[in-house]
Amino acid sequence: MFGYDTEALRNLLATIIQNNIKPDAWAWLSNQGDITNTATFNAAFAMMPRKTGKAVITITPEQAQELNTIRPGFTIEDWTADRLGRVYLLSQANATDKERYFAVIENLFLAAEMNELVALYSALPVLAYADQWVKRCAEGIRSNIGSVLEAIMYHNPYPAENLSEAAWNQLVMKAIFTDKQLTLITGLNERNNPELARILMDFARERGAAGRSVVPELWHLASPFTDAGIVNAVKQQYTTI
Amino acid sequence: MCCSHSFEDKPLPGQKPEAFDITAVKGMKFFDPHVHMTSRTTDDYQAMADAGVVALIEPAFWLGQPRTGIDSFRDYYSSLVGWERFRSSQFGIKHYCTIGLNSREANNEALAEQVMEILPLFVYKDGVVGVGEIGFDDQTAAEEKYYRLQLDLAKEAGLPVQVHTPHRDKKHGTQRSMDIALEHCLDPYTVIIDHNNEETVKEVLDRGFWAAFTIYPFTKMGNQRMVEVVKQYGSERIMINSAADWGISDPLAVPKTAALMKLNGISAEDIELVTYRNAITAFAQSGQIDEADFGVNIDQSAKFEGNSILRGGQQPRVDKSSIIIS
Repeated sequence: MFGYDTEALRNLLATIIQNNIKPDAWAWLSNQGDITNTATFNAAFAMMPRKTGKAVITITPEQAQELNTIRPGFTIEDWTADRLGRVYLLSQANATDKERYFAVIENLFLAAEMNELVALYSALPVLAYADQWVKRCAEGIRSNIGSVLEAIMYHNPYPAENLSEAAWNQLVMKAIFTDKQLTLITGLNERNNPELARILMDFARERGAAGRSVVPELWHLASPFTDAGIVNAVKQQYTTI
Repeated sequence: MCCSHSFEDKPLPGQKPEAFDITAVKGMKFFDPHVHMTSRTTDDYQAMADAGVVALIEPAFWLGQPRTGIDSFRDYYSSLVGWERFRSSQFGIKHYCTIGLNSREANNEALAEQVMEILPLFVYKDGVVGVGEIGFDDQTAAEEKYYRLQLDLAKEAGLPVQVHTPHRDKKHGTQRSMDIALEHCLDPYTVIIDHNNEETVKEVLDRGFWAAFTIYPFTKMGNQRMVEVVKQYGSERIMINSAADWGISDPLAVPKTAALMKLNGISAEDIELVTYRNAITAFAQSGQIDEADFGVNIDQSAKFEGNSILRGGQQPRVDKSSIIIS
């Protein structure tokens, strides 16, 4: 059900959290995570910032390295304590009962405020049953809330590992439309594809017709699958920003 | 919560209204503790920010027509802590909310039961500063039942209560709301009695509750009357709000009333208390209000999502005087 060593991840996250929150907050958090008691689990998830605070956590380079060894691509740098606390809480959830596990976590998505959504989408790479969250991830990409999109797009290995080509292409286009930094998207080059190049070139023509500009990374993504002459011809329409 | 509109009380014809001169309150900060932004446009957000509104509270209420299913409630509550909060942050206005089952819809008991089940999922969320707006509308038995249940919920969650008082049989309804709150052992200092008028204010203050006044054209308080109330009762435990919603209402009611108070010689200290500080003092008992958050975007990484060129989370300004839309 998990594609990585869950015990190692829980232990490492526990160490990092203990270094970043007060002892009484840790005493509380270390006793949470029982998803058979849905109400308590939901309340713990919601009240996390009341317990942990919202300070940005510190993490040693060794811990970051270890994290990347346990779950490649997964990073928690610059996270706030409540975000980490929520992801830790989710990592504690027993996944044996697949239906219950999915229902409880999906319900958190349905009632989430912004910071909760950030934490939930950040947790996708460490949740059980990776293939179960594909539709949820695609739904997240439809969000119009900047921080939520960044939680999915930036330094998150889940989309590149799990999304279909069509959903991946939507992610890239949404990132462009919302002024995201494309270079922070995990798997941008690995998932590049001819259909995306076609969409990007159409988009470049449309922008040119409107007298608007495009980001330079667009050409980088389109070029491997597009005739150089065509790229140059479209580029002539306007200058890049 | 808004009102059943009456359009009968139109202003007298021939009276030339005085223009709102924003310079009278320039540099002042305002907190509107009751405004339904879900029903308002981006123009309103922009105007509020320009007039000095730095933070607001959006109470949960009905939608002008009854909801027919639990999912509508859930999506609404989730929009108050989600999309609407984000939308507000785009204008540099800190958005808080209160969560509750409003009195009108308490009368659909089958649905009300389901709503009570999901309320705990929302009242503990970040930025939820109270249970509200709850109380009486028709003053039915069902309304009383869910009012009481939600008072207990507020007590358990350690949250202030924002009490809507009825339009019809107002004075009695207000008294009853306070009696019941005290019966449930709530500290009146954690209860904000809303939509007061000249007839209700004295008792509300005497019994130790907060008295909120809604400046809302035609059906609630006008701000000239409000000036007189502050002259008579002072500024202790009094706050004003716009309760602006989908009806004919004014999201600038708080800054406008501050300006009118200034023109009428009310002290700057008193104006600050009734248009800013008292609301913060009352609702900060939730532990969810930090003034350091005002005037900045909630989430510094938040950016407007559209097809524009925004940076830093601010909405772009549209030159409304221009015929060109680019």
